[in-house]
Amino acid sequence: MPASEAVATQSKLGKQTEGKQKVIVVTLKKLLKNRLAVFGLFIIFIQILMAVFAPWITHYSPVTQSLVNSELPVGSENHWLGTDNYGRDMWSRIVFGARISLVVGLVSVILGLTGGIALGLISGYFRKLDGWIMRFVDLLFAFPGILLAMLIIAMLGTSLVNVMIAISIWSIPTCARIVRGSVLSVKKQEYIVAMKSLGAGNSRILIKHILPNCMAPIIVFATMRMATAILSTSALSFLGLGAQPPTPEWGAMIAAGQDYMWTSPHMTIVPGIAIMLVVFAFNVLGDGLRDALDPNMDLG
Amino acid sequence: MAELLLDVNNLVTKFKTADGKLSAVRGVSFSVNKGETVCIVGESGCGKSITSLSIMNLLPNNGEISEGSVRFLGQELTKMRQDELRKLRGNKMAMIFQEPMTALNPVFTVGFQIREPLKIHKRLSQREAHRKGIELLKQVGIPYPEKRMSQYSHELSGGMRQRVMIAIALACRPSLLIADEPTTALDVTIQAQILDLIDDLKEELGMGVIMVTHDMGVVAEVADRVMVMYAGEKIEEADVESLFSNPQHPYTKGLLKSVPNVDDRNHQLEAIPGTLPNLNEVITGCRFHNRCEFATEKCRTQSPKTFTVNDEHTVRCWLQEVEQHDESAATASSNQ
Repeated sequence: MPASEAVATQSKLGKQTEGKQKVIVVTLKKLLKNRLAVFGLFIIFIQILMAVFAPWITHYSPVTQSLVNSELPVGSENHWLGTDNYGRDMWSRIVFGARISLVVGLVSVILGLTGGIALGLISGYFRKLDGWIMRFVDLLFAFPGILLAMLIIAMLGTSLVNVMIAISIWSIPTCARIVRGSVLSVKKQEYIVAMKSLGAGNSRILIKHILPNCMAPIIVFATMRMATAILSTSALSFLGLGAQPPTPEWGAMIAAGQDYMWTSPHMTIVPGIAIMLVVFAFNVLGDGLRDALDPNMDLG
Repeated sequence: MAELLLDVNNLVTKFKTADGKLSAVRGVSFSVNKGETVCIVGESGCGKSITSLSIMNLLPNNGEISEGSVRFLGQELTKMRQDELRKLRGNKMAMIFQEPMTALNPVFTVGFQIREPLKIHKRLSQREAHRKGIELLKQVGIPYPEKRMSQYSHELSGGMRQRVMIAIALACRPSLLIADEPTTALDVTIQAQILDLIDDLKEELGMGVIMVTHDMGVVAEVADRVMVMYAGEKIEEADVESLFSNPQHPYTKGLLKSVPNVDDRNHQLEAIPGTLPNLNEVITGCRFHNRCEFATEKCRTQSPKTFTVNDEHTVRCWLQEVEQHDESAATASSNQ
């Protein structure tokens, strides 16, 4: 008897996860119909592969100098993307740079989302705190984004970790606004009043019932923000505020290549293309997700 | 004497608005016994829903109970702390909402939502709650309950959703069920089924039920006692037979006349002229006087007191004074 019961509950649980999966499957199907989004997904997938398997797909260290081989052009023997002014293999540097930009992007977006979601949920739900939190957010908004990041780095010092902190703080106000807006509309819904009438407490309602209803805009925001975060990391590194040489960061690579613009243009163009492709990929994926998650959008 | 479940005394609910504090409910008193269905009737905006939300203490942020008492199972609810109230809500008293379309969370399965009250109040494990959920769905007459547990609300029909709402509300076997127009959004055949269901479950669980409605047909079907509200005040209260056979207040009479009669071909629907006054209108005297065809000078200046028609039947209308005066005069003269 117990065995058959276990099987029964197992099949029940199986059905439950099936129900959960359905939403994801529907969204994915819609997403896969969007060609640009699929292209974005493909690029991001490649970047992830590059980041994960970096040591296995490169023959040279990204930082070891080899002055004999300096400034080899694209398509050279053993260095298909060429080398830079110190003779470092460009392919190795791009691959390891993918690692850095992905990690910095992810960490800063996750940090920013955590802060933004917490502030947004609280200010949307508790009227008394709303004014205070939103004025604080306005204060953050008052600084132009990159300036705010530079200010924070100026205070904390130049390093990649500080870049992540700076970019995550920069993400907080926008995220808080987006979440607050969704909370305001969701908390008026009858099912939230119904949950209250069942005796659920504030934290339960907020985290278990309101937050999942706000996920769609948060997911889209997170994807778009990845693009901004990667671009800003490169921008800050280009200005010398982020990754320090010899770290193979794309923005820093462009900065280093500037002086060789006329003799070895690939030193700036290759990392430039890498940044462009990844930022483009995250942006179109974000667009695709927005369309796929919007129930009012019929893609046919 | 039946056991007293809920006793509302002189309840006043006010809303803070740009025009100052406005009263939506003005001194309403009533009681509900165990196993009894009390209907609150009145047109839209007369304070029915606010009365029921006041009992649950679920008023919108700008609303507050400013006077009166709500005693439930001997406990005073208006002075209770939020966390104590939460233990009662969904456990001892539960509510069903008007729109089954919006009262279920669209991002969760039916199973998730039915497990929630069981987890909150009964501290059941996932598996126990799941089993209990299936049982509850079966009880409210939902076919294939195992399958429904993993479905989302958009996959169910309106009647089915309302059954799910009822199952969720009844999950912890409450002693009081407040149903805020539970059938308004449903078509007529489903309406009858849902009303029967609530009635059966009431018998089974010995609940008290407060049914908020504007449909006199529903009242006739389910009510034991009826309370008629107008512009935030209780204007008439009676047992259901007495109210239908012998309505006293002109507003109640108007409500009964505005129900279509299918048996009588020549039946003319009579609407009550005018509309409900705004919350910020200052009205002296009876709040119904400017829509009442029998209004006298007294009605315009003095607020009517409560007259007793019989043990179960009270009404707030100055016309009673005249009638009761006439009656006593008549009995006096016949005695002579």
